[in-house]
Amino acid sequence: MGVSLVASFSREGQWTLANYETVWRLYARDVLYTVGVAAAGSILTFAAAIPLCGWLRARAFGPVEFLLKVPLFVPFVVVGHALRVFWSPYLPGFATSWLGIAAALAWKHLGLAVLLLLGAFRGVDESFLEAARQLGSGTTRVTRDILVPMAAPALAVSAVLIFSSMLASFSIPLMLGRGSGAQMLMIDVYYRFGQHGDFETASALGVVSYLLAIGAALVYVRRLTH
Amino acid sequence: MSGASRTSRTLGGLTARLVALGLAAFVIVGPLLSLGLWSLAERWTYPAAWPQRLGLRYWSRMLTGDFLDPLKTGLGIAVIVTAAALLCAVPLGYALARLAFPGRTLVLLAFLLPQAFPQLPVFAAATREFYRWGLAGTVTGVVLVHLVGGLVFAVWTMAAVFRSIDPVLEEAAHNLGASATRAFLTVSLPLAVPGIVASALLVFLYSLDEFTGTLLVGAPFVTTLPVYMYTASQGYELQIASVTALVLMVPGAVLLLLLERVLRAEYLTFFGQI
Repeated sequence: MGVSLVASFSREGQWTLANYETVWRLYARDVLYTVGVAAAGSILTFAAAIPLCGWLRARAFGPVEFLLKVPLFVPFVVVGHALRVFWSPYLPGFATSWLGIAAALAWKHLGLAVLLLLGAFRGVDESFLEAARQLGSGTTRVTRDILVPMAAPALAVSAVLIFSSMLASFSIPLMLGRGSGAQMLMIDVYYRFGQHGDFETASALGVVSYLLAIGAALVYVRRLTH
Repeated sequence: MSGASRTSRTLGGLTARLVALGLAAFVIVGPLLSLGLWSLAERWTYPAAWPQRLGLRYWSRMLTGDFLDPLKTGLGIAVIVTAAALLCAVPLGYALARLAFPGRTLVLLAFLLPQAFPQLPVFAAATREFYRWGLAGTVTGVVLVHLVGGLVFAVWTMAAVFRSIDPVLEEAAHNLGASATRAFLTVSLPLAVPGIVASALLVFLYSLDEFTGTLLVGAPFVTTLPVYMYTASQGYELQIASVTALVLMVPGAVLLLLLERVLRAEYLTFFGQI
Protein backbone atom coordinates (compact mmCIF):
# COMPACT_ATOMS: atom_id res chain seq x y z
CA MET A 1 0.00 0.00 0.00
CA GLY A 2 2.86 2.33 0.83
CA VAL A 3 4.42 1.68 -2.57
CA SER A 4 1.23 2.58 -4.39
CA LEU A 5 0.74 5.68 -2.23
CA VAL A 6 4.22 6.99 -3.08
CA ALA A 7 3.92 6.05 -6.75
CA SER A 8 0.58 7.81 -7.06
CA PHE A 9 2.26 11.15 -6.29
CA SER A 10 5.27 10.69 -8.54
CA ARG A 11 5.93 10.85 -12.26
CA GLU A 12 9.37 10.27 -13.78
CA GLY A 13 11.01 10.81 -10.41
CA GLN A 14 9.20 14.09 -9.68
CA TRP A 15 6.57 14.75 -7.01
CA THR A 16 3.38 15.73 -8.79
CA LEU A 17 -0.40 15.55 -8.77
CA ALA A 18 -0.46 14.71 -12.49
CA ASN A 19 -1.63 11.14 -11.89
CA TYR A 20 -4.67 12.39 -9.99
CA GLU A 21 -5.41 14.79 -12.84
CA THR A 22 -5.35 11.80 -15.19
CA VAL A 23 -7.70 9.93 -12.88
CA TRP A 24 -10.05 12.92 -12.80
CA ARG A 25 -9.91 13.33 -16.57
CA LEU A 26 -10.31 9.68 -17.58
CA TYR A 27 -11.91 7.92 -14.65
CA ALA A 28 -14.22 10.33 -12.78
CA ARG A 29 -17.24 8.67 -14.38
CA ASP A 30 -15.95 5.20 -13.48
CA VAL A 31 -15.53 6.17 -9.83
CA LEU A 32 -19.19 7.23 -9.70
CA TYR A 33 -20.22 4.13 -11.63
CA THR A 34 -18.36 1.88 -9.17
CA VAL A 35 -19.91 3.56 -6.13
CA GLY A 36 -23.32 3.28 -7.80
CA VAL A 37 -22.96 -0.41 -8.63
CA ALA A 38 -21.62 -1.20 -5.14
CA ALA A 39 -24.52 0.72 -3.57
CA ALA A 40 -27.07 -1.03 -5.79
CA GLY A 41 -25.47 -4.38 -5.00
CA SER A 42 -25.58 -3.70 -1.26
CA ILE A 43 -29.22 -2.62 -1.44
CA LEU A 44 -30.12 -5.80 -3.34
CA THR A 45 -28.21 -7.93 -0.83
CA PHE A 46 -29.99 -6.48 2.20
CA ALA A 47 -33.38 -6.30 0.47
CA ALA A 48 -33.12 -10.08 0.25
CA ALA A 49 -31.25 -10.77 3.49
CA ILE A 50 -33.34 -8.70 5.96
CA PRO A 51 -36.76 -10.28 5.28
CA LEU A 52 -35.22 -13.75 4.92
CA CYS A 53 -33.35 -13.47 8.22
CA GLY A 54 -36.45 -12.04 9.94
CA TRP A 55 -38.42 -15.01 8.74
CA LEU A 56 -35.69 -17.48 9.70
CA ARG A 57 -35.47 -15.85 13.15
CA ALA A 58 -39.17 -16.50 13.67
CA ARG A 59 -39.06 -20.09 12.46
CA ALA A 60 -35.74 -21.77 11.78
CA PHE A 61 -35.84 -23.75 8.55
CA GLY A 62 -32.64 -25.69 7.93
CA PRO A 63 -32.80 -26.25 4.17
CA VAL A 64 -33.24 -22.55 3.32
CA GLU A 65 -30.58 -21.53 5.82
CA PHE A 66 -28.16 -24.00 4.26
CA LEU A 67 -28.90 -22.83 0.72
CA LEU A 68 -28.28 -19.23 1.71
CA LYS A 69 -24.83 -20.14 3.02
CA VAL A 70 -23.84 -21.75 -0.30
CA PRO A 71 -22.48 -18.52 -1.90
CA LEU A 72 -19.91 -18.32 0.90
CA PHE A 73 -17.89 -21.15 -0.55
CA VAL A 74 -18.34 -20.44 -4.25
CA PRO A 75 -15.22 -18.54 -5.30
CA PHE A 76 -15.65 -15.07 -6.84
CA VAL A 77 -14.35 -16.17 -10.25
CA VAL A 78 -16.81 -19.05 -10.35
CA VAL A 79 -19.72 -16.76 -9.37
CA GLY A 80 -18.92 -14.39 -12.24
CA HIS A 81 -18.77 -17.17 -14.78
CA ALA A 82 -21.79 -19.08 -13.42
CA LEU A 83 -24.05 -16.03 -13.58
CA ARG A 84 -22.78 -15.13 -17.03
CA VAL A 85 -23.78 -18.53 -18.44
CA PHE A 86 -26.98 -18.62 -16.34
CA TRP A 87 -28.26 -15.36 -17.83
CA SER A 88 -26.78 -15.39 -21.30
CA PRO A 89 -29.21 -17.78 -23.05
CA TYR A 90 -32.29 -16.04 -21.62
CA LEU A 91 -31.30 -12.45 -20.86
CA PRO A 92 -28.65 -11.52 -23.41
CA GLY A 93 -26.79 -8.39 -22.37
CA PHE A 94 -27.97 -8.48 -18.75
CA ALA A 95 -24.67 -9.86 -17.42
CA THR A 96 -22.75 -6.87 -18.74
CA SER A 97 -25.25 -4.23 -17.56
CA TRP A 98 -24.74 -2.30 -14.31
CA LEU A 99 -27.69 -4.16 -12.80
CA GLY A 100 -26.22 -7.50 -13.83
CA ILE A 101 -22.93 -6.71 -12.10
CA ALA A 102 -24.81 -5.51 -8.99
CA ALA A 103 -26.97 -8.66 -8.98
CA ALA A 104 -23.91 -10.91 -9.34
CA LEU A 105 -22.18 -9.11 -6.47
CA ALA A 106 -25.35 -9.43 -4.40
CA TRP A 107 -25.48 -13.17 -5.12
CA LYS A 108 -21.95 -13.66 -3.83
CA HIS A 109 -22.42 -11.50 -0.72
CA LEU A 110 -25.82 -12.88 0.26
CA GLY A 111 -24.17 -15.73 2.16
CA LEU A 112 -22.06 -13.36 4.24
CA ALA A 113 -24.99 -11.00 4.88
CA VAL A 114 -27.23 -13.85 6.06
CA LEU A 115 -24.48 -15.22 8.30
CA LEU A 116 -23.88 -11.87 10.00
CA LEU A 117 -27.52 -10.75 10.18
CA LEU A 118 -28.97 -14.03 11.37
CA GLY A 119 -26.39 -14.09 14.14
CA ALA A 120 -27.38 -10.57 15.17
CA PHE A 121 -31.13 -11.32 14.94
CA ARG A 122 -30.71 -14.47 17.03
CA GLY A 123 -28.94 -12.36 19.63
CA VAL A 124 -32.11 -10.32 20.18
CA ASP A 125 -33.85 -11.53 23.32
CA GLU A 126 -36.86 -13.77 22.75
CA SER A 127 -39.04 -11.90 25.27
CA PHE A 128 -39.19 -8.79 23.02
CA LEU A 129 -40.45 -10.85 20.12
CA GLU A 130 -42.88 -12.71 22.32
CA ALA A 131 -44.34 -9.44 23.59
CA ALA A 132 -44.78 -8.13 20.04
CA ARG A 133 -46.44 -11.34 18.93
CA GLN A 134 -48.84 -11.18 21.88
CA LEU A 135 -49.85 -7.75 20.62
CA GLY A 136 -50.60 -9.27 17.23
CA SER A 137 -47.50 -8.38 15.19
CA GLY A 138 -46.66 -10.64 12.27
CA THR A 139 -43.16 -11.55 11.12
CA THR A 140 -42.89 -8.47 8.89
CA ARG A 141 -43.68 -6.05 11.71
CA VAL A 142 -41.47 -7.88 14.19
CA THR A 143 -38.58 -7.66 11.72
CA ARG A 144 -39.18 -4.01 10.89
CA ASP A 145 -39.98 -2.65 14.35
CA ILE A 146 -37.88 -4.86 16.63
CA LEU A 147 -35.18 -6.93 14.94
CA VAL A 148 -33.79 -4.26 12.59
CA PRO A 149 -33.60 -1.47 15.20
CA MET A 150 -32.10 -3.76 17.84
CA ALA A 151 -29.58 -5.27 15.44
CA ALA A 152 -28.82 -1.87 13.88
CA PRO A 153 -25.12 -1.79 14.87
CA ALA A 154 -24.47 -5.23 13.39
CA LEU A 155 -26.50 -4.26 10.32
CA ALA A 156 -24.44 -1.10 9.82
CA VAL A 157 -21.16 -2.98 10.21
CA SER A 158 -22.11 -5.69 7.72
CA ALA A 159 -23.38 -3.05 5.26
CA VAL A 160 -20.05 -1.20 5.41
CA LEU A 161 -18.05 -4.40 4.96
CA ILE A 162 -20.17 -5.61 2.06
CA PHE A 163 -20.20 -2.22 0.31
CA SER A 164 -16.39 -1.99 0.56
CA SER A 165 -15.95 -5.52 -0.69
CA MET A 166 -18.16 -4.74 -3.70
CA LEU A 167 -16.15 -1.61 -4.48
CA ALA A 168 -13.02 -3.72 -4.54
CA SER A 169 -14.50 -6.49 -6.68
CA PHE A 170 -12.42 -7.53 -9.63
CA SER A 171 -13.07 -11.18 -10.53
CA ILE A 172 -16.84 -10.90 -10.86
CA PRO A 173 -16.97 -7.91 -13.27
CA LEU A 174 -14.01 -9.36 -15.17
CA MET A 175 -15.72 -12.74 -15.65
CA LEU A 176 -19.04 -11.15 -16.60
CA GLY A 177 -17.09 -9.58 -19.42
CA ARG A 178 -18.23 -6.00 -19.81
CA GLY A 179 -16.37 -4.80 -22.88
CA SER A 180 -17.30 -1.15 -23.24
CA GLY A 181 -18.81 1.78 -21.34
CA ALA A 182 -18.09 2.69 -17.73
CA GLN A 183 -16.08 0.09 -15.82
CA MET A 184 -15.59 -0.97 -12.22
CA LEU A 185 -12.51 0.68 -10.69
CA MET A 186 -10.49 -2.50 -10.22
CA ILE A 187 -10.88 -3.37 -13.89
CA ASP A 188 -9.47 0.09 -14.68
CA VAL A 189 -6.54 -0.45 -12.30
CA TYR A 190 -5.83 -3.82 -13.92
CA TYR A 191 -5.81 -2.53 -17.49
CA ARG A 192 -3.99 0.69 -16.63
CA PHE A 193 -1.22 -1.37 -15.06
CA GLY A 194 -1.28 -4.47 -17.24
CA GLN A 195 -1.93 -3.05 -20.69
CA HIS A 196 -0.62 0.52 -20.50
CA GLY A 197 2.17 -0.24 -18.05
CA ASP A 198 1.18 2.99 -16.30
CA PHE A 199 1.82 2.04 -12.69
CA GLU A 200 1.60 5.62 -11.38
CA THR A 201 -1.93 6.31 -12.62
CA ALA A 202 -2.98 2.78 -11.62
CA SER A 203 -1.70 3.59 -8.11
CA ALA A 204 -3.60 6.88 -8.00
CA LEU A 205 -6.76 4.93 -8.91
CA GLY A 206 -5.85 2.48 -6.17
CA VAL A 207 -5.51 5.27 -3.61
CA VAL A 208 -8.97 6.55 -4.62
CA SER A 209 -10.31 3.05 -3.96
CA TYR A 210 -8.55 2.94 -0.55
CA LEU A 211 -10.28 6.18 0.38
CA LEU A 212 -13.64 4.75 -0.64
CA ALA A 213 -13.00 1.69 1.51
CA ILE A 214 -11.94 3.66 4.58
CA GLY A 215 -15.24 2.80 6.31
CA ALA A 216 -14.35 -0.87 6.35
CA ALA A 217 -10.93 -0.08 7.78
CA LEU A 218 -12.55 1.91 10.59
CA VAL A 219 -14.85 -1.02 11.36
CA TYR A 220 -11.83 -3.30 11.76
CA VAL A 221 -9.94 -0.77 13.89
CA ARG A 222 -12.94 -0.32 16.19
CA ARG A 223 -13.43 -4.04 16.47
CA LEU A 224 -9.84 -4.42 17.67
CA THR A 225 -9.69 -1.51 20.05
CA HIS A 226 -12.94 -2.36 21.84
CA MET B 1 -57.68 -20.48 18.92
CA SER B 2 -60.17 -22.72 17.11
CA GLY B 3 -59.09 -25.87 15.29
CA ALA B 4 -59.88 -24.48 11.86
CA SER B 5 -57.78 -21.34 12.26
CA ARG B 6 -54.89 -23.36 13.67
CA THR B 7 -55.02 -25.62 10.61
CA SER B 8 -55.01 -22.62 8.29
CA ARG B 9 -52.03 -21.12 10.16
CA THR B 10 -50.10 -24.37 9.84
CA LEU B 11 -50.97 -24.51 6.15
CA GLY B 12 -49.88 -20.88 5.78
CA GLY B 13 -46.58 -21.69 7.46
CA LEU B 14 -46.05 -24.70 5.22
CA THR B 15 -46.81 -22.66 2.08
CA ALA B 16 -44.38 -19.95 3.22
CA ARG B 17 -41.69 -22.60 3.71
CA LEU B 18 -42.26 -24.14 0.30
CA VAL B 19 -42.23 -20.75 -1.41
CA ALA B 20 -39.03 -19.74 0.39
CA LEU B 21 -37.39 -23.04 -0.44
CA GLY B 22 -38.40 -22.79 -4.09
CA LEU B 23 -37.12 -19.23 -4.38
CA ALA B 24 -33.85 -19.94 -2.59
CA ALA B 25 -33.31 -23.05 -4.70
CA PHE B 26 -33.92 -21.15 -7.94
CA VAL B 27 -31.74 -18.18 -7.03
CA ILE B 28 -28.89 -20.11 -5.42
CA VAL B 29 -28.89 -23.48 -7.16
CA GLY B 30 -30.07 -22.25 -10.59
CA PRO B 31 -26.77 -20.66 -11.65
CA LEU B 32 -24.83 -23.69 -10.38
CA LEU B 33 -27.08 -26.05 -12.32
CA SER B 34 -26.60 -23.98 -15.43
CA LEU B 35 -22.85 -24.50 -15.02
CA GLY B 36 -23.57 -28.22 -15.15
CA LEU B 37 -25.74 -27.81 -18.22
CA TRP B 38 -23.09 -25.71 -20.00
CA SER B 39 -20.43 -28.27 -19.19
CA LEU B 40 -22.52 -30.87 -21.02
CA ALA B 41 -23.59 -28.64 -23.92
CA GLU B 42 -21.73 -29.70 -27.04
CA ARG B 43 -23.72 -27.20 -29.04
CA TRP B 44 -25.79 -24.36 -27.66
CA THR B 45 -26.42 -21.32 -29.80
CA TYR B 46 -28.64 -18.36 -29.03
CA PRO B 47 -31.70 -18.08 -28.94
CA ALA B 48 -32.34 -21.75 -28.04
CA ALA B 49 -33.54 -22.20 -24.46
CA TRP B 50 -31.87 -25.62 -24.26
CA PRO B 51 -28.62 -26.97 -25.76
CA GLN B 52 -28.97 -28.50 -29.22
CA ARG B 53 -26.60 -31.33 -28.37
CA LEU B 54 -25.56 -32.74 -25.00
CA GLY B 55 -22.52 -34.90 -24.39
CA LEU B 56 -19.43 -35.58 -22.33
CA ARG B 57 -16.92 -34.31 -24.90
CA TYR B 58 -15.77 -31.38 -22.76
CA TRP B 59 -15.51 -33.45 -19.59
CA SER B 60 -13.19 -35.85 -21.40
CA ARG B 61 -10.88 -32.88 -22.02
CA MET B 62 -10.20 -32.87 -18.28
CA LEU B 63 -7.92 -35.85 -18.75
CA THR B 64 -5.60 -33.90 -21.06
CA GLY B 65 -2.53 -31.90 -20.13
CA ASP B 66 -4.01 -28.43 -20.58
CA PHE B 67 -6.40 -29.14 -17.71
CA LEU B 68 -4.21 -31.34 -15.52
CA ASP B 69 -1.16 -29.06 -15.58
CA PRO B 70 -2.92 -26.04 -14.02
CA LEU B 71 -4.55 -28.43 -11.52
CA LYS B 72 -1.16 -29.80 -10.45
CA THR B 73 0.42 -26.33 -10.34
CA GLY B 74 -2.42 -25.01 -8.16
CA LEU B 75 -2.32 -27.98 -5.79
CA GLY B 76 1.45 -27.73 -5.43
CA ILE B 77 1.28 -24.00 -4.67
CA ALA B 78 -1.56 -24.57 -2.18
CA VAL B 79 0.45 -27.20 -0.28
CA ILE B 80 3.52 -24.93 0.02
CA VAL B 81 1.41 -21.90 1.02
CA THR B 82 -0.51 -23.88 3.65
CA ALA B 83 2.66 -25.32 5.23
CA ALA B 84 4.45 -21.96 5.27
CA ALA B 85 1.43 -20.06 6.60
CA LEU B 86 0.84 -22.48 9.46
CA LEU B 87 4.50 -22.62 10.46
CA CYS B 88 4.31 -18.87 11.05
CA ALA B 89 0.72 -18.73 12.30
CA VAL B 90 0.80 -21.34 15.08
CA PRO B 91 3.46 -19.56 17.21
CA LEU B 92 2.22 -16.11 16.23
CA GLY B 93 -1.43 -16.98 16.94
CA TYR B 94 -0.39 -18.38 20.31
CA ALA B 95 1.56 -15.24 21.17
CA LEU B 96 -1.32 -12.99 20.15
CA ALA B 97 -3.82 -15.01 22.18
CA ARG B 98 -1.75 -15.44 25.34
CA LEU B 99 0.91 -12.82 25.73
CA ALA B 100 0.40 -9.16 26.38
CA PHE B 101 3.36 -7.61 24.60
CA PRO B 102 3.76 -3.98 23.54
CA GLY B 103 2.44 -3.36 20.04
CA ARG B 104 0.14 -6.37 20.14
CA THR B 105 -2.77 -4.36 18.76
CA LEU B 106 -0.50 -3.04 16.00
CA VAL B 107 0.43 -6.58 14.96
CA LEU B 108 -3.25 -7.54 14.91
CA LEU B 109 -4.04 -4.47 12.83
CA ALA B 110 -1.23 -5.24 10.40
CA PHE B 111 -2.80 -8.62 9.84
CA LEU B 112 -6.36 -7.41 9.61
CA LEU B 113 -6.27 -4.12 7.72
CA PRO B 114 -5.24 -5.60 4.36
CA GLN B 115 -8.62 -7.37 4.44
CA ALA B 116 -10.42 -4.03 4.54
CA PHE B 117 -8.77 -2.45 1.52
CA PRO B 118 -8.98 -3.38 -2.16
CA GLN B 119 -6.32 -5.99 -2.89
CA LEU B 120 -5.68 -5.39 -6.56
CA PRO B 121 -3.62 -2.16 -6.26
CA VAL B 122 -1.50 -3.89 -3.59
CA PHE B 123 -0.94 -6.88 -5.87
CA ALA B 124 -0.05 -4.52 -8.71
CA ALA B 125 2.62 -2.91 -6.51
CA ALA B 126 3.90 -6.37 -5.52
CA THR B 127 4.04 -7.42 -9.17
CA ARG B 128 6.13 -4.38 -10.02
CA GLU B 129 8.60 -5.12 -7.22
CA PHE B 130 8.70 -8.81 -8.25
CA TYR B 131 9.73 -7.78 -11.78
CA ARG B 132 12.79 -6.10 -10.28
CA TRP B 133 13.72 -9.20 -8.28
CA GLY B 134 12.98 -11.61 -11.12
CA LEU B 135 10.06 -13.20 -9.23
CA ALA B 136 7.29 -12.21 -11.64
CA GLY B 137 5.90 -15.16 -13.57
CA THR B 138 7.46 -17.66 -11.14
CA VAL B 139 5.88 -20.14 -8.73
CA THR B 140 7.86 -18.50 -5.89
CA GLY B 141 6.24 -15.15 -6.72
CA VAL B 142 2.75 -16.68 -6.69
CA VAL B 143 3.45 -18.45 -3.38
CA LEU B 144 4.57 -15.15 -1.82
CA VAL B 145 1.44 -13.36 -3.02
CA HIS B 146 -0.79 -16.15 -1.69
CA LEU B 147 0.98 -15.93 1.64
CA VAL B 148 -0.26 -12.35 2.08
CA GLY B 149 -3.87 -13.52 2.30
CA GLY B 150 -3.06 -16.98 3.62
CA LEU B 151 -1.23 -15.61 6.65
CA VAL B 152 -4.16 -13.36 7.52
CA PHE B 153 -6.54 -16.32 7.54
CA ALA B 154 -4.14 -18.54 9.43
CA VAL B 155 -3.11 -16.02 12.11
CA TRP B 156 -6.69 -15.00 12.82
CA THR B 157 -8.05 -18.51 13.07
CA MET B 158 -5.08 -19.69 15.17
CA ALA B 159 -5.42 -16.74 17.57
CA ALA B 160 -9.13 -17.61 17.96
CA VAL B 161 -8.29 -21.28 18.54
CA PHE B 162 -5.72 -20.55 21.27
CA ARG B 163 -8.07 -18.02 22.90
CA SER B 164 -10.66 -20.77 23.23
CA ILE B 165 -8.25 -23.06 25.12
CA ASP B 166 -8.37 -22.46 28.87
CA PRO B 167 -4.97 -21.13 30.15
CA VAL B 168 -5.62 -22.91 33.45
CA LEU B 169 -4.62 -26.20 31.81
CA GLU B 170 -1.15 -24.88 31.03
CA GLU B 171 -0.83 -23.41 34.52
CA ALA B 172 -1.50 -26.87 35.89
CA ALA B 173 1.36 -28.20 33.78
CA HIS B 174 3.63 -25.42 35.07
CA ASN B 175 2.72 -26.30 38.65
CA LEU B 176 3.74 -29.88 37.96
CA GLY B 177 7.13 -28.59 36.85
CA ALA B 178 6.80 -28.36 33.07
CA SER B 179 8.70 -25.62 31.24
CA ALA B 180 6.77 -23.08 29.16
CA THR B 181 7.77 -24.82 25.93
CA ARG B 182 6.88 -28.23 27.28
CA ALA B 183 3.52 -27.02 28.58
CA PHE B 184 2.76 -25.61 25.14
CA LEU B 185 3.84 -28.76 23.29
CA THR B 186 2.08 -31.23 25.57
CA VAL B 187 -1.05 -29.30 26.57
CA SER B 188 -2.11 -26.49 24.24
CA LEU B 189 -0.79 -27.80 20.93
CA PRO B 190 -2.61 -31.18 21.05
CA LEU B 191 -5.83 -29.41 22.10
CA ALA B 192 -5.42 -27.04 19.16
CA VAL B 193 -5.14 -29.80 16.55
CA PRO B 194 -8.76 -29.60 15.30
CA GLY B 195 -8.38 -25.84 14.97
CA ILE B 196 -5.05 -26.24 13.16
CA VAL B 197 -6.66 -28.66 10.70
CA ALA B 198 -9.54 -26.26 10.09
CA SER B 199 -7.13 -23.38 9.61
CA ALA B 200 -4.99 -25.42 7.20
CA LEU B 201 -8.03 -26.34 5.15
CA LEU B 202 -9.09 -22.69 4.95
CA VAL B 203 -5.67 -21.55 3.75
CA PHE B 204 -5.45 -24.45 1.29
CA LEU B 205 -8.82 -23.55 -0.16
CA TYR B 206 -7.93 -19.87 -0.34
CA SER B 207 -4.75 -20.61 -2.25
CA LEU B 208 -6.49 -23.01 -4.62
CA ASP B 209 -9.19 -20.46 -5.48
CA GLU B 210 -7.07 -17.29 -5.44
CA PHE B 211 -7.36 -15.52 -8.76
CA THR B 212 -6.43 -11.83 -8.66
CA GLY B 213 -2.90 -12.15 -7.31
CA THR B 214 -2.16 -15.21 -9.42
CA LEU B 215 -3.30 -13.45 -12.58
CA LEU B 216 -1.09 -10.43 -11.90
CA VAL B 217 2.04 -12.07 -10.52
CA GLY B 218 1.90 -15.40 -12.28
CA ALA B 219 1.19 -14.19 -15.80
CA PRO B 220 2.09 -15.48 -18.29
CA PHE B 221 3.98 -18.55 -17.04
CA VAL B 222 2.13 -19.75 -13.92
CA THR B 223 -1.39 -20.98 -14.64
CA THR B 224 -3.63 -22.30 -11.87
CA LEU B 225 -7.20 -23.50 -12.42
CA PRO B 226 -8.93 -20.11 -11.83
CA VAL B 227 -6.58 -18.45 -14.34
CA TYR B 228 -7.13 -21.30 -16.79
CA MET B 229 -10.86 -20.80 -16.41
CA TYR B 230 -10.57 -17.08 -17.09
CA THR B 231 -8.50 -17.68 -20.22
CA ALA B 232 -11.05 -20.23 -21.45
CA SER B 233 -13.99 -17.89 -20.88
CA GLN B 234 -12.15 -15.05 -22.67
CA GLY B 235 -11.83 -17.31 -25.69
CA TYR B 236 -15.58 -18.01 -25.57
CA GLU B 237 -14.88 -21.60 -24.56
CA LEU B 238 -17.75 -21.43 -22.11
CA GLN B 239 -17.96 -25.21 -21.79
CA ILE B 240 -14.30 -25.58 -20.78
CA ALA B 241 -14.71 -22.73 -18.30
CA SER B 242 -17.85 -24.36 -16.88
CA VAL B 243 -16.14 -27.72 -16.38
CA THR B 244 -13.29 -25.94 -14.59
CA ALA B 245 -15.73 -23.90 -12.47
CA LEU B 246 -17.45 -27.09 -11.30
CA VAL B 247 -14.11 -28.66 -10.38
CA LEU B 248 -13.17 -25.49 -8.47
CA MET B 249 -16.35 -25.74 -6.41
CA VAL B 250 -15.70 -29.28 -5.20
CA PRO B 251 -13.19 -28.58 -2.40
CA GLY B 252 -15.31 -25.76 -1.01
CA ALA B 253 -18.46 -27.87 -1.08
CA VAL B 254 -16.80 -30.80 0.66
CA LEU B 255 -15.32 -28.48 3.26
CA LEU B 256 -18.59 -26.74 3.99
CA LEU B 257 -20.34 -30.06 4.52
CA LEU B 258 -17.51 -31.36 6.72
CA LEU B 259 -16.86 -28.23 8.69
CA GLU B 260 -20.33 -26.89 9.31
CA ARG B 261 -20.41 -28.89 12.51
CA VAL B 262 -16.84 -28.12 13.56
CA LEU B 263 -16.30 -24.53 12.49
CA ARG B 264 -17.55 -21.51 14.31
CA ALA B 265 -19.40 -18.83 12.36
CA GLU B 266 -16.33 -16.65 12.73
CA TYR B 267 -14.34 -18.90 10.38
CA LEU B 268 -17.21 -19.13 7.95
CA THR B 269 -17.00 -15.40 7.35
CA PHE B 270 -13.51 -16.01 5.98
CA PHE B 271 -15.05 -18.18 3.28
CA GLY B 272 -16.90 -15.15 1.98
CA GLN B 273 -13.64 -13.44 1.13
CA ILE B 274 -12.33 -16.01 -1.32
